Amino acid sequence: MTTVEAPARPRPRPVSTTPPTGPRVRQRQRPETFTVVSYAGVIAFAIVCIVPFWMVVAGSFTAESSLSQTGYSLWPDPFSLDAYTTIFAGSRVWLSYGATIFITVVGTVIAVIATSGIAWVIARGLPLVSRPLAVFAYIPMLFTGGLVPMYILITQVLQLRDSWFAVILPMAIAPFLVFVQVSFFRATPQEILDAARIDGAGELRIFFQVVLPLSKPVIAVIALFYAVAFWNEWFHALLFISEPAKYPLQLVLQNLITSVANAADLGTVSAAPVYQMRLAMTVITIGPILLAYPFAQRYFVKGLTLGATKG
Amino acid sequence: MSADLDAATNSLADPRTARSGNRQKRRGRDYGLVLLAAPAVILLVVFAYGPMAGLIVAFQDFNVADGVFGSPWAGFENFEFFFTSGGAGRILWNTLFLNILFLAATLGSGVLLAIMLNEIRGRVTKRFFQSVIFVPYFVSPIVVSIFLQAFLAGPSGRGGLVNDLTDVFGLPSISWYTEPGPWPWILTVVKVWQMGGYMSVIFLAAITAIPEEVYEAGVIDGASRAQMALRITVPLLKPTAAILLVLGVGRIFYGDFGTIYAIVGDNGTLFSTTDVIDTYVFRALRTIGDFGTTAAIGLFQSVIGFVLVVAATLVQRRYAKETSLL
Repeated sequence: MTTVEAPARPRPRPVSTTPPTGPRVRQRQRPETFTVVSYAGVIAFAIVCIVPFWMVVAGSFTAESSLSQTGYSLWPDPFSLDAYTTIFAGSRVWLSYGATIFITVVGTVIAVIATSGIAWVIARGLPLVSRPLAVFAYIPMLFTGGLVPMYILITQVLQLRDSWFAVILPMAIAPFLVFVQVSFFRATPQEILDAARIDGAGELRIFFQVVLPLSKPVIAVIALFYAVAFWNEWFHALLFISEPAKYPLQLVLQNLITSVANAADLGTVSAAPVYQMRLAMTVITIGPILLAYPFAQRYFVKGLTLGATKG
Repeated sequence: MSADLDAATNSLADPRTARSGNRQKRRGRDYGLVLLAAPAVILLVVFAYGPMAGLIVAFQDFNVADGVFGSPWAGFENFEFFFTSGGAGRILWNTLFLNILFLAATLGSGVLLAIMLNEIRGRVTKRFFQSVIFVPYFVSPIVVSIFLQAFLAGPSGRGGLVNDLTDVFGLPSISWYTEPGPWPWILTVVKVWQMGGYMSVIFLAAITAIPEEVYEAGVIDGASRAQMALRITVPLLKPTAAILLVLGVGRIFYGDFGTIYAIVGDNGTLFSTTDVIDTYVFRALRTIGDFGTTAAIGLFQSVIGFVLVVAATLVQRRYAKETSLL
């Protein structure tokens, strides 16, 4: 279960798990300056990556009186749960969690079904079908209709205004992920498919009972990529969802940026800790992603590696 | 698991060589399989190709009552309107300038981070740092915008961590959100923060694919680790960088709407350096409701983007045939 470690190869001295014994005791080599600088660089960048998260989490537990002076806090002092109690006392946060979860779950299911299906047909290499289908899926990566036709399509033609499907359907197929999955499917051992055929299985049965069970790792990869994209999606929501009760989390958060007054809507109390609530809402929005990340990150690395090496 | 995954994808670079010979007989049955592609085909036709056809709006004097098929034709008026409106030059320049900055900075930081990560001994340590620097990729632009406010503004607009730091060094504090000058660079820092780790994952994968013998030869020749990074790793990363560059060049006329709109929003004082095609189009559509002109700009973007990506692919294919797309 590796990710993408380079097998730390060019090593001036062999690294043995047992300490060197015998007469020839190896001189401990000083690490080269370049290596030291690299460690420092990576550690510094890692800190820069983490600090904003820490500031927002700490800030969300800091009393508004202190936050209004500085706008951030590195340690929650004075400690306060006001923002969270205010937010969770209102119904808005539950509604928007519901909206985001609906969009993420339904969107990911649709996207995985559609992506797996087309990827398998492309990967099978059927004459007259697979190649044109690959081009058909590739062109949208190069050429898009843009905002206006999409807007007309959703609002005038399909009448999906204020529907969560207006957020889901335009994003339900990502050509990049189609090609990630194609390159995985192409690796399905031919012998297994032949064996299934000899046993009399039809093509559809082979796909559902042989190929899909073998492809769980790549399905996890593309499902996670889609899920994150749906969770973070706000552009289509901004365009097409105008009914506040249907706002997903990201849009609620965006409203908090544009107008501080919107924060008052979230809670029930009139003197709401507005700025603290903005930070708390951020924590609420990214919380599930951060909690899932340690378990999911190797799949993302794998997906990217697969996509990158195959182009 | 990923090891056999990688090995298998490499060995099957050309899937057709591995097919069994008696497939002709089964052809009829095989095509039942095509049904599996139906959901994706429908989605692509409606939501990718449909809007492409909808670009005819660019040549119309569109109004909602008459719809896409009934609105009167306007020829190239919409294009003229945009290019003579005065704002076009600045918006095109901002789009190009910001995208070039973003592309150079994210590619550069990705290569640098990958090389530095490659120096780290120990699988667990390396994986830990890789995971940490990959985290920012997973937050939405809205969240990034809130992070940035904590650094640059605070609730009052003059607070924030950066201004507190400048106070320590006796520098004047700056009201960042009313000062358009530094924003291209602020946005570049944001992009590096968000994409540096992502790019480094791709480049580190490419470093992993470099054969070990090359480095062994380097060791024998007495190269230092810095020399090996500079003389071996960097040149061998060029094909990967070229692919990412081609993709980036193809999107060079597409402004980064998500990041820019989430951060700048409707803050007009920053438009002079941050307003790009996509944010302009969005505003034009929302405030004026001018479908024709905005569609014209979209068409212009798509055509230029398409030409650029095809040109870039051809140029790149000439230099590195085996690594090009498709």
